[in-house]
Amino acid sequence: MNLVSPLFGNVAPVLAASGPVGDMIQKFGLAWPKFLAQVLIFLAVYYVLNKFAFGPILAMLEQRKQRIADGESKLEKIAKDLAEAEKNAQAIVDKANADASRLVTEAGESAKALAERKQQEAVHEAGQIMAKAREAARLEHEQLMSQLKREFGRMVADATSRVTGKVLNPDDQARINKEAAAEVSA
Amino acid sequence: MDFLNSSLAATPLLLGVQPAASELGNIGFITNSVIVGLCVLGIVFWFSGKATKNMSLIPHKAQNLFEFLVEFLYNRIEAIVGPKQVKLAFPLLGTLFIYILVSNWFGLIPGVGTVGWGEPTGPLSVKEAHDPLFRPPTADLNATLALAMSAFLVWIYLTLREVGVWGFIVHTFGPKGGLKGLMGFVVALVFLFVGVIEIVSIVLRPMTLSVRLYGNIFAGESVLHTLAGLLDKMGAPWDFIGSVLIPFPFYFMELLVGLLQAIVFTLLCSVYIQLSTAHDDHGHEEGDSHH
Repeated sequence: MNLVSPLFGNVAPVLAASGPVGDMIQKFGLAWPKFLAQVLIFLAVYYVLNKFAFGPILAMLEQRKQRIADGESKLEKIAKDLAEAEKNAQAIVDKANADASRLVTEAGESAKALAERKQQEAVHEAGQIMAKAREAARLEHEQLMSQLKREFGRMVADATSRVTGKVLNPDDQARINKEAAAEVSA
Repeated sequence: MDFLNSSLAATPLLLGVQPAASELGNIGFITNSVIVGLCVLGIVFWFSGKATKNMSLIPHKAQNLFEFLVEFLYNRIEAIVGPKQVKLAFPLLGTLFIYILVSNWFGLIPGVGTVGWGEPTGPLSVKEAHDPLFRPPTADLNATLALAMSAFLVWIYLTLREVGVWGFIVHTFGPKGGLKGLMGFVVALVFLFVGVIEIVSIVLRPMTLSVRLYGNIFAGESVLHTLAGLLDKMGAPWDFIGSVLIPFPFYFMELLVGLLQAIVFTLLCSVYIQLSTAHDDHGHEEGDSHH
């Protein structure tokens, strides 16, 4: 097969050179048309990759990187918020514990004070009851004594009237009652 | 007509690897490496569309794979050239990596480099196929040179954009160290000489890049072909068994070589960009102190 191109082979088959360099060029088949064809193919590959691959892929990588960065920042914010929430919750729990302790202490003190007050009230009430009881006993004693004196006076007057056979007038009855009452009191 | 006649004799065959890509037909620039280059373009186009179709934050399989690849490349390149240059340099360097990687691995597909045309020995067989139908672009010096020259042009653009022509000259030839007097003059001469060497190395970069890639992939192809043909003279079935089993372990090595060469090419271009676009703050401070 004749491999020499009629289109380019006889016009510019190889770089114009002679001697060892020319032989080498001939041996390796260097020729401007072939070289330019390879350049064009490479440029076509460059165009295809740059337009259909590198651009969209790099844009997607950048978008994903941005997305990851956003996610990271959100994660940091969430972690920060969580720490803040935990801190707040802990503060609330601490405050609740402190309030509870204070309330327990206050309740204890209040109960103690109430108990003392109730005890004092009970003692006071018991004292009042005792005083009332003494007063009632005294009044009853006085009432009984008065009734006894009256009865005794009446009995003395009745006995005197029967012994003497004389109807006693009110002055005598009053004097006899008074003397009898004095005797009873003594 | 030769092409048509030869196509009738196309058959799978283990071939010796020619150093140059074979032209297919009468159009000079249509070579077997161009065919594979177009296939790579199609694969890249198809997979790019598949990976970026219905993209979502939770990626599907193709999207996930492509995102992994792009992110890995972007981070590696950014670590070398810096966050400012990576935005400009990544499309080229990423394309270089993917194109070289797919091309290298395409060469390992059974049939690539082994199906082609040669001296007919039967209806569908040839004695030795000199002109394979497929050849990985990275095993064609035209293609590797095209990649290297593209990278070189972008390197020039990024360098001049970042430091300017005068900045590049000062960066390359300017004396460093801040010495004065006779020693300063001597140091300036030394740096002038170093700058000339640097210019030579810069000019040679496209050649070194392209030849390194070409040499590695071409050598890998040659190794696989040689190993596959070791038992050819023993006849059937040993030639078939040998052609499958003997090169089999080396396919894994070539997978690794293909990946490594893609990484090497890309990272070297990244380093070249970084070396010429990085601002020499220390030197500038010294330069400022002289004013």
